[in-house]
Amino acid sequence: MIKKNYPKKLSDIKKPFIIYKTIKGFDLYTDFSKKIILTNNNIYNFINKLDKKKLRNKKTDLFIGFFGYEILNNLIEVKLPKQKGLKFPKGIFYKPETNLNLKSKLIYKNNSLNNLNNNFKININKKSYTKIFNKFKKKIKSGQTYQIKICTKYQNKSKIDPIDFFCRLSKTNLSPEAFLIKDKNFSIISCSPENLITKTGQFISTKPIAGTLKKTKKLNKIKALKFFRKNLKETKEHNMIVDMERSDLSKICKPGSVKIIKKKIVEEYKDLYHYVSLIAGKLKKKTSTLDIIKAMMPGGSVIGCPKISTLNLLNAQEKESRNIYTGSFGYIKFNGDMRFNIIIRAILNYKNYSEISVASGVVIDSNANHEFNENYIKAKALMDLYK
Amino acid sequence: MIYIIDHKDSFTHNVVHQFANFDNVECDNFNEINEANLNKSKIIVFSPGPGSPKDYPASSKIYKRFKGKKKIIGICLGFQQILHSEKALIVEQNKIYHGFQSEVKVTSNNSLFKKNQKFKVGRYHSLKLKEPFYAKNFEITIRCVISNIAMGIENNKDKIYGFQFHPESFLTKNGNLLIKKILSA
Repeated sequence: MIKKNYPKKLSDIKKPFIIYKTIKGFDLYTDFSKKIILTNNNIYNFINKLDKKKLRNKKTDLFIGFFGYEILNNLIEVKLPKQKGLKFPKGIFYKPETNLNLKSKLIYKNNSLNNLNNNFKININKKSYTKIFNKFKKKIKSGQTYQIKICTKYQNKSKIDPIDFFCRLSKTNLSPEAFLIKDKNFSIISCSPENLITKTGQFISTKPIAGTLKKTKKLNKIKALKFFRKNLKETKEHNMIVDMERSDLSKICKPGSVKIIKKKIVEEYKDLYHYVSLIAGKLKKKTSTLDIIKAMMPGGSVIGCPKISTLNLLNAQEKESRNIYTGSFGYIKFNGDMRFNIIIRAILNYKNYSEISVASGVVIDSNANHEFNENYIKAKALMDLYK
Repeated sequence: MIYIIDHKDSFTHNVVHQFANFDNVECDNFNEINEANLNKSKIIVFSPGPGSPKDYPASSKIYKRFKGKKKIIGICLGFQQILHSEKALIVEQNKIYHGFQSEVKVTSNNSLFKKNQKFKVGRYHSLKLKEPFYAKNFEITIRCVISNIAMGIENNKDKIYGFQFHPESFLTKNGNLLIKKILSA
């Protein structure tokens, strides 16, 4: 059911909706006929049933939503201890009946915004962070992990206007995997830059990012590339992720088909440069949607390496639920094609509580002070929206 | 058939694809060994993995059971697993190599590879072999050009081969040739 001139403005949409960045602009999904809240039990049924569906309507025959961190751990049989935190669903998927293309400039204005609480509490202070950091460095020395990403979380209580947040964020940081979910009692606003899965027919690719450089007037793309190439720490982190993603793809792809399409290139965004690689392969026959999800998620570049051992170390350490953070948002079409990102640089607002999680990597030559501050810079870009 | 024993590493499936260039490959987790496949296989490969060889006594047992009976290949942790089973000490090192490309050199006349040949390899190891190391019929045949750390061992009598580096990494040049050579040995 598509209404004429729909919508004139984003604020006209009173019902739940989702916006997802496309190459040209944004896709808007709404008029949800189904909403599935995932649990560790129903997730198998949900995913397996998708393999039996047929694509009739190219634009709306899909489920769009997210898998949280915990449910993805559970899928690959990595157990989490009981954790504190918001009791937010482990995953939600929607069946849209309406899909519209929006231009990259989103029209929206909310003049009644004020009194936003911009005081954030951090769950791990610098002292505790350094302690965890040193503990993990020992684990690197003993070979239990080669790279591990410590997560810190900023939280506050505030009523926000997610559309306003998303539009402002898109203005300053138009990232290729940005999305917004606005539902009745929660919203997720993200400027994720990282694509985890693009699957079309038998072809699948992933585009890990390892290495970020803030833009300055003196920098350009060539200089950024030189910086990354010279920087041994960034290079090693990136190499590790490339080999890990090759291996994850190799689980589900035909032998010999996994190739590095773009090797360690620089991509330029509004505020920063990313050091990225593009790896692709051709799927083995009879690979199911569940096989693909289990092979690729949670996305390795935001966890560390090797994945299973590193997840176990993280889960033994973290007392609070990551919720959506380092989960994946995206869609699965009824013909099996899919697109998923990694949920980073995201605000989860649930029952008027906001949380922003960030992480940065510990490798053998990282410095606790530097990484702690790096985390703050990443979070600040989102916390600034509360001003 | 080549049977790869996975120590739950994030590089194992690169190893699987590399060996699949040459023969049928089966791969199972170290704690979910398929006895039929293990017995049927002509070659056993110990995969890379986190931790230290002493964390995987089951793999050491398999090594001892099939030493001299099947060709055995170890990569990274797998390399250390072979050495550990041969009573070597595997120790932490001061400088750690993760995602590091370095140059190695063939240092022996008895190697399958040409002496003094140099090539670039990818490394992901926290631990190393403590030297001196002696075991019957074993020889260290490849070393890091800069640090001199043991990077390859060969036992051509029992057909046992190990690499501390990762032949399957995109950082290793001619990794496929390397594997081809030890498979045809």
